[in-house]
Amino acid sequence: MSEPAPGRPADAAAPTAGVHEHDGPPGGPRRLLIALYAVFALAATARAVVQIAVQFDEAPLAYALSLFSGLVYIAATVGLVTHRPWSRPLAWGACAIELVGVITIGIASIVDPQAFPHDTVWSRFGSGYGYIPLLLPVLGLLWLRYSRPGAEHGRSDDRSPA
Amino acid sequence: MISFLATGIGVAALLLAAWTGVQAYRRRPTTEGQMIGAIVVEIALLVQALIAVFRVAGTGLREPVTFLAYLFGVLLVLPLGFYLAREERSRWGSLSLCFTAVVVAVMVLRLVQLWGDRV
Repeated sequence: MSEPAPGRPADAAAPTAGVHEHDGPPGGPRRLLIALYAVFALAATARAVVQIAVQFDEAPLAYALSLFSGLVYIAATVGLVTHRPWSRPLAWGACAIELVGVITIGIASIVDPQAFPHDTVWSRFGSGYGYIPLLLPVLGLLWLRYSRPGAEHGRSDDRSPA
Repeated sequence: MISFLATGIGVAALLLAAWTGVQAYRRRPTTEGQMIGAIVVEIALLVQALIAVFRVAGTGLREPVTFLAYLFGVLLVLPLGFYLAREERSRWGSLSLCFTAVVVAVMVLRLVQLWGDRV
């Protein structure tokens, strides 16, 4: 009776608690994801720009891929930071592409290392970056699922017991 | 680059990461002391960037462009963590600052490696 159970208070409380200033869930994990994604957007994009500017001919595929991964991280960061109608689809799409990318490039770089003589962020599942590139899209997708509009959260703070 | 300055910054960044990490573990937002710590580390990074930019010419680094990219890129990371920790007054803000402090330590280590990599 002290506080509503985190799982099930939706039906009765929703109409009164339904003043969605920012659509639901606590924003804390989102802020950490912003930190993670912004750092990787910087790392991947800067790396690609340096490689393309200095030595593009050495490994055009790897460097183009670095740039692509950087753009995907930027898209995911923008999707997480903004609160527009397109924000969540953008973040969903970016995280999904990222997951496919890191798995595909991870497998390809192990099966055929000759094709990837120069590392990208996604080579060997991101081992050069502490495997965070593999973890990041999973965390992003989990958070997007958890925070989707209409999902049930324990937002006990704006549901008065009355 | 001055090696004791770089080492000092790396150690300070790791201490800040440990401190904010414990704070996040205890489900607390960052303290004023931690925010000041982040500012001090950032100032040290700025000083290092100024010194290194004047000392980089003629040193024959193997990857000068990468070195400069890290030298200035590392300046952007802590302000991000600082901003998020200020906005998010919960454990997640502490965790954001913790993560960015770890990134700074790793980038400083990479800077030291690049500085030692001469032709």
